[in-house]
Amino acid sequence: MKRRDLFRSIARTSVRADAPLDQPLQVIGGIEEYTQPLTLDDVLHLFRRLSYGITMPAAKAYVGKTARQVVTELLGPNDPGDPKLAVGFIKWRDPVSGQMVDYTENPEGADLQAAFAIRSWWGTNHAQLSRWIMYESLRDTMAIERIANFWTSHWTTEFAFDDQFSQPHTLYNQYLMLRKDRLGNFRTMALDMTLDHGMLFYLGGWLNEAGRPNENYARELLELFTTGIGWYTEGDIQQAARVLTGWKVARFNDQPAPKGIYNSWFDAKKHDTGAKEFMGVTIPARTADNNTEFQVRNEEVRELIDIIFRARPDAVARFIAGKVYMHFVYSSAGEVDKEFVGDLAKAFKEADFDLRTLFLKAFTSAHFFDPAVRGVQIKTPFEYVVGILKLLRFEDAEAAKFDPPQWTILMDQKIYDAPNVAGWPGYRSWITTNTYPRRREFARKIIDAMTDDRALQLIKEMPDYEDVTKFVASMVQYMLPVPVNETRLAYYKSTLLEGQPDYTWAEKIKQPASAARSLRALLKAIAVAPDFQLC
Amino acid sequence: MKRRSFLATTAAAAVGTQVLGGVPLKAFTPMNMPVPMQPDDDRVLIVVQLFGGNDGLNTIIPVDDPNYYAIRPTIAVPKEKAISVLSRVYMHPALAPKDQYGFPQMFEDGRLAVVQGIGYENPNLSHFRSTDIWLSGFNSSDPEVRLLDGWLGRYWSKHLPGFPEQLPPDPIAVQIGGSLSMLLQSPKGDIGIALSDPQKFFELGQGLSPDMTPMSDETRYGREFNFVRTVAEQCDKYSSVVKNSFDKGKNVATYGEGGFIQQMKLVARLISGGLKSKIFLVYMGGFDTHVQQQDEYQNGLHPYLLGQLASGIGSFMQDALSQGFADRVVGMTVSEFGRRPYENGSRGTDHGAASAQFVFGNGVRAGVYGQSPDLTNFDGNGDVRYQWDYRRVYADVLENWFGGSPQETEDVLQDRVLPLGVLQRATSVDDAYEGRVEVNIRVSPNPSAEHVSVEWYQPVNGVTTVEIYGTDGRYVKTLLTDRLAPGTHRVSADGLQSGSYLCAVMINGRRSVAPLTVVR
Repeated sequence: MKRRDLFRSIARTSVRADAPLDQPLQVIGGIEEYTQPLTLDDVLHLFRRLSYGITMPAAKAYVGKTARQVVTELLGPNDPGDPKLAVGFIKWRDPVSGQMVDYTENPEGADLQAAFAIRSWWGTNHAQLSRWIMYESLRDTMAIERIANFWTSHWTTEFAFDDQFSQPHTLYNQYLMLRKDRLGNFRTMALDMTLDHGMLFYLGGWLNEAGRPNENYARELLELFTTGIGWYTEGDIQQAARVLTGWKVARFNDQPAPKGIYNSWFDAKKHDTGAKEFMGVTIPARTADNNTEFQVRNEEVRELIDIIFRARPDAVARFIAGKVYMHFVYSSAGEVDKEFVGDLAKAFKEADFDLRTLFLKAFTSAHFFDPAVRGVQIKTPFEYVVGILKLLRFEDAEAAKFDPPQWTILMDQKIYDAPNVAGWPGYRSWITTNTYPRRREFARKIIDAMTDDRALQLIKEMPDYEDVTKFVASMVQYMLPVPVNETRLAYYKSTLLEGQPDYTWAEKIKQPASAARSLRALLKAIAVAPDFQLC
Repeated sequence: MKRRSFLATTAAAAVGTQVLGGVPLKAFTPMNMPVPMQPDDDRVLIVVQLFGGNDGLNTIIPVDDPNYYAIRPTIAVPKEKAISVLSRVYMHPALAPKDQYGFPQMFEDGRLAVVQGIGYENPNLSHFRSTDIWLSGFNSSDPEVRLLDGWLGRYWSKHLPGFPEQLPPDPIAVQIGGSLSMLLQSPKGDIGIALSDPQKFFELGQGLSPDMTPMSDETRYGREFNFVRTVAEQCDKYSSVVKNSFDKGKNVATYGEGGFIQQMKLVARLISGGLKSKIFLVYMGGFDTHVQQQDEYQNGLHPYLLGQLASGIGSFMQDALSQGFADRVVGMTVSEFGRRPYENGSRGTDHGAASAQFVFGNGVRAGVYGQSPDLTNFDGNGDVRYQWDYRRVYADVLENWFGGSPQETEDVLQDRVLPLGVLQRATSVDDAYEGRVEVNIRVSPNPSAEHVSVEWYQPVNGVTTVEIYGTDGRYVKTLLTDRLAPGTHRVSADGLQSGSYLCAVMINGRRSVAPLTVVR
């Protein structure tokens, strides 16, 4: 009997967050599908985790549907189509000469002023890219950007590292690729990323040549991107590095660019044509005749990826399932539910590494909806910032006044610029004495910036808003991940009413200014609570 | 091996129930809770993290080893360029920044120790795993073993009764910049704060306490709630404490430009201003020198970093000496690994294993610990073999610097590790009362072929333990544990395999050590 079955036999079969129990509970939900019609709490929970939140009216519209229906809708089609917004990279005008800077000019070799202008231009473009990702996420009512962003945190590519910069255009291209690959076969994503221009530059793949291998990407491909640590030898890394020799980037107009600027290409002369022995499989030597991009891509690089998936299928499935679990369900490395992740990995492997299956299984599982995993995630700065904007119904034009990507930087998360290739350490590292004050400050600023009309609109979106007790409960339900006790509800109500009797609420909501002032006070009181950092 | 602190506990969660706790204090009369005491000695540890893997072979230069020049044709430091210090050790010239208090001078003044061959068994070449191994103090490469907290976090969280519900008046640890390191995490929460700008921290941190009671730790939700709550409390409480020390403190030495140097400057100012933190963590990245680490004139990324390191620590030491707090501060560098002995094709070096470590401060027993790396005898990956287990210096810090007992070292590291002896021991007034005495150990014959006896005279009665350790500092076996009367005692150490060992006699928690060699 599995541990979970034991608990299931002694616990009641249907555990709902809105049905308080008298005693603490184990996680009893496993991989089995959660088939009950979703409650409002379920819908809010799902959207907090798999999207960046949801408005109250939209949430209510999903109540009563099944998890499978809602998650299928959230995931969307494999090809999500074009983004809603244009990134609109602007060109950079040199402030001194007044000339437009050619952004493909190589700053190395250029005069100091031009080099400075080019690098500044990258900085500007990176800020644009960050805003674009953020507003695209704010507009998304599905899980498209949420999952794409998850993959950028998996296949880390830094904007600024050592004294180098990844050109923002290449990061943009990478983002769009991950967005398209996000629900497809994981092998495809692995192959695409291995030959991605941004990644080739970032992890030194472009320096990896026959006779002078650079192991950097080969190591991370295994350690951080596919199998996780412990499933390969140092020899495998050296051999993989040899397989991956010869791929080049085209960053500047003084460099060869057979596929066009910002597209990677294959330099046959730099490819190691000798035989390689990787994870016990031989990749045969090749002659100069068949040392072509097409052949090396398919017979070596694709084969390398395939060998990983053939030789270490359980490791890959488990590593990726574990990553999804920690990102979306519970980040505490010590408390990953091994049984559930094992079941998830099994399903992923059986679906031949189809990512849609993985996400659908995870987010329609009884485990995901189990009360014991609600409110246990610490919001990332990105989730926190986009989440507040969404919660309080800010559109991107309004949000732009606050330059939200600057705020995530203050909270230790610069978009597309993790501290190192392992990505952000996440979980509790997000909340420190450096970052927590910034979180509070941001919430306060956004709440203060909410117009009276918007406040009134928000009030009226809550079910039964005219009943002050129910209104406070709804607002708390909307803002916080887990129901709070009566003492807190009473405290919040008295904050809203400034200590006055319940009947004064009817008067307040007739006057937008008065209602807005009260709402702001309530929102601030809620935002102060530690669980406002949780989801 | 017990892994109490990172074993997952099965969570009992009750999200739907009416949780106790999480109650706004404003809803009630505020409570007056007793605060835990600040530790009463004033000793400070500075941990200097060098992320990326510092190249030990190009830090302490093996100028007399021709193999060094053979395997590093383009990046070796020529003998005439290396700096000879007391004819004991040759340093990279970047460690002696012009007109500054550099490492060679610090070594000559008895304020610097060089630990050669620091590392661990079965080296892991992943930055992340190896960093976790270093910071956690647990040497495990098993991916199933999650390393979740730091050796200093575990040690200090145990020393603070009531933590984290009640916080000591000053933060136990201060990390300059960044997300809080694993080093300062404990099963009970973060023992320290992350600090970038004391003024900003003061402006933003005031009044951030959520004024709410903690929740029950029985649920995961409750645990995360409490974690955030504690950080909020720390912001509120420590923002003014830090500001106070910052305002009272000063720097009298001259500091150069550069992030790391400025971090050291801030640390000096906070100590000078009376902040009673036990640990400061500073950080320098960029040591992952795969490409172009050094040109033919000994310029480049690696020399730049070494220069920053020496300059920051040198200025700090001058500041400490001028302001009179040098006796109570020691520091140590930690880096996840050294580099591959052979240079690669890009004038750089790939991930390696054992490396060199620096320990600095007036409390250091200056000198070189260990031999120059053997460049003819590499491990299976072609890397330098380790001579000392990295936790030996940690054991020094815990026992000799913070005054912990060997038992506490074992609790924190979940393993018996012998201090290296690089730090002078803090003598406690309680030592005499508790009968903690050091003794002279006689091993005879030494070296021995068959029978070995270990003999010592103890003036007090007490619990005596005699243990054998490898020279890397790791535990081998126990010869005796007993309560002994005053007098001369003898125990046999037969049955050891050929090799060099250390024999430790511990009386009432105080350890004495002697070498022991078996030749068969």
